[in-house]
Amino acid sequence: MSQTQALWWASESFWRKTAIWVTAGSFVVLIFLTFDTVKQITAGTKRVPAYANALNHRIDYVFDEKRNFQVPVIGPEEPLFGKKLTEAEAEALVSHGKLTTQAKNCMGCHTLLGNGSYYAPDLTKAWLDPSWGSKEAREQSMVDFLMNPQLAAHNALGRKMPNLKITESEARATVAFLKWMSSIDTNGFPTNFKPIDQADAPAPAAPVAEPVAPAAEAGVGISPAPAQQ
Amino acid sequence: MLEPVKLANFFTVFFSAASVIMFGATYALLFAWSRIRDRPRLMPLAYAAYVGLFISVIVLALAANLFHNTFWTFIVLLMLIGYLVAPHAIWHLCVGTHADEHEGEANPIKVYQQR
Amino acid sequence: MAAIGISTATMNGGQKLAMKYFTVAIALFGAQVLFGMLAGLQYLYPDFLFGILDFSVNRMLHINAMVVWLLFGFIGSVYWMLEDESGVPVVGIGLGNLIFWIFTLAVVVVVLVYLLVQIGPGEQSSIWLINEGREYIEAPRWADIGIVVCVLAFFYNVTATFAKGKFTNIGGVLVMDLVALAGIYLAGMYYTPNISMDQHWWWWVIHLWVEATWEVLVGCLMAYGLIKTMGVRRKIVETWLYIEVALMFGSGILGLGHHYFWIGTPEYWFTIGGFFSALEPIPLVAMVVHAVFDAGHHKLKSTNNPALAWIIAQAFGNFFGAGVWGFMHTLPQINLYTHGTQWTASHGHLAFFGAYATMVIAFLYIALQKWRGDVYMSGNLNGAWKWKWAIFLLHAGMITMVMALLISGYEQSQIERAIEGSTWMGYFAGQSHRWFMQGMFWRQIGGWVFTAGFVLLAWDLLTIGKRETRPALQVQGE
Repeated sequence: MSQTQALWWASESFWRKTAIWVTAGSFVVLIFLTFDTVKQITAGTKRVPAYANALNHRIDYVFDEKRNFQVPVIGPEEPLFGKKLTEAEAEALVSHGKLTTQAKNCMGCHTLLGNGSYYAPDLTKAWLDPSWGSKEAREQSMVDFLMNPQLAAHNALGRKMPNLKITESEARATVAFLKWMSSIDTNGFPTNFKPIDQADAPAPAAPVAEPVAPAAEAGVGISPAPAQQ
Repeated sequence: MLEPVKLANFFTVFFSAASVIMFGATYALLFAWSRIRDRPRLMPLAYAAYVGLFISVIVLALAANLFHNTFWTFIVLLMLIGYLVAPHAIWHLCVGTHADEHEGEANPIKVYQQR
Repeated sequence: MAAIGISTATMNGGQKLAMKYFTVAIALFGAQVLFGMLAGLQYLYPDFLFGILDFSVNRMLHINAMVVWLLFGFIGSVYWMLEDESGVPVVGIGLGNLIFWIFTLAVVVVVLVYLLVQIGPGEQSSIWLINEGREYIEAPRWADIGIVVCVLAFFYNVTATFAKGKFTNIGGVLVMDLVALAGIYLAGMYYTPNISMDQHWWWWVIHLWVEATWEVLVGCLMAYGLIKTMGVRRKIVETWLYIEVALMFGSGILGLGHHYFWIGTPEYWFTIGGFFSALEPIPLVAMVVHAVFDAGHHKLKSTNNPALAWIIAQAFGNFFGAGVWGFMHTLPQINLYTHGTQWTASHGHLAFFGAYATMVIAFLYIALQKWRGDVYMSGNLNGAWKWKWAIFLLHAGMITMVMALLISGYEQSQIERAIEGSTWMGYFAGQSHRWFMQGMFWRQIGGWVFTAGFVLLAWDLLTIGKRETRPALQVQGE
């Protein structure tokens, strides 16, 4: 075990060079990947839909056989608060909502896209959560809840959301932010999620006795339009 | 394509993944110990730890559905070979980097204490 | 055997400055423990401080105190070794002192605003003045700019001092690492309405700090410590520092991929994250083999038992916290269920404590030994029960917390995620499950034990070596 000659592969200079090359190499690869990733997650792409596109349409979360997980699907036109927005208006609204989530420190209790704290539910698919009851009542329920969360009894644990002095315009903007966030393709996170029933209520002159119930659960065939780029 | 772990396999995944690291460390530890203290009888124990690692990796791969896909199969092979070779490589590096240490004084580090 | 080794040399300027940083670090460690306890209690008693000091505020203070105390500990440790390593006095010691007071004052203001103002309206002014609402880097934008200025001044001091004196290999790695540390922070300083983009860059700061630049910084401190306190040869230590940098940056930089599974980023990150997760244990294996090699090679006597104990704790903590706990849920096939549950909390607690808190505490003991006038800190130390019980209680508390969170997280990933499908109903079904509740209870017990350990640690730091008259054992290195 006693080599007398300095071994090149055990020398300081070799490892200094290796450290520099490995670091630089990893970093260059990271930079290239970052360029591509940033391109793919810019709003208005397949993975992260444009703000107006998401706000003006129904968002669903449907199992994709090919990718083997649920993906958000942009459905028929269903403007948020009944008002169709231009891209600029939609972006301003979502941005106001995002600023509200930051200023109120939502991540101090909740997770968004799974990051944050674990004291309150994940908000990634909050817009699609069945807890809002019906599709029709959802928007107003969300606004009311955000403005006075301390009044609602959410659970048997006694855990409540505090009143964060959210104004009505902030609440509406937050709802817009949440709706838009639910349209982001998160590679199937959260998994096995059962979204709120968004099928068009009493189907006009339904020929069969059985109405729309299982559609949302099965998660297939509701939304004809694939996520548009 | 990713195939998420089945509910029934959750515990297996956590346990086997933890075992991979634990056996990996045990293997490295026994391997290095056997060499530095010149105790060849410890070496079979080191490889026994590697066998444990091998089994853990396979169990993990089965529970996490890694064999369903070429890329993840490659990762499994990488772990099996990489973790086998790594202690050897690091050992050589230790010997190599400490090579010139014995030339000078026999024991360069001394501790003195007053009294 | 001659009576060598009585060294009563007073501390140099950098070391005096370091003591100030260490003092604030310990105070903030205390704040971290306090707010962690409050937040933990709110899991058990949701009405506790409700509407006064909500969970979000306590949790924010808990994790921000941690980031800042570790940062103060690192900066202090670097100042501690700077003159020794470079061979010249710190170039801008006045600047260093000024920056210390500015930094500390800024931290106090930020904490007061967190406590008293807490939240703001949904406008840019809130994230500039009150709180940015982004986990770990909640500090408002003005404070971000302040942090960058402080780190740049620190960087100037370190670089200029090394440039004036000896630019050792440790110094070189350290300077490059500080460039990266400051540069990466900039990635967290911008606003976008796009939450995917936001989280993408946020991970640059969090991951590349914690799993890359901090690791290398600790590597530099460890290298210095090995040379100075154990007399290991510089050439060997520095070669190994480079090996470590190669392994850590090689597996760590693109290891960023394992955070890009579920935030909107493309599917190829599964592949990259998976690959580098498999490489992750290699630096740990290297550490194990090298540690055994060194231990068998040198007959080392410790000149500072508490510091050595904490360094050993660091090795184990890093191994279990980052290695075992990380690998258990890093593959995307399982991470799909564990991402954003108490699993993460379990892993985070053990990894931050094991890899970083331990290292800073070890450095504190090294510093205190000199501060007391190079006193004896080996076996049969007066009042050794204090540091021994502190290390035991802190670890017993931490392990209890981590195991309790692990059980809660395991239950959460099954009930909330896999069975209930992650709806809000599912979330609360998971949270009210017996296993979860008991986990939270035991976490709090662990928290009390940890708190007791912290109090004992603080007491020991204040008193260790006070009545000690024997001089320190001396290492005779090269």
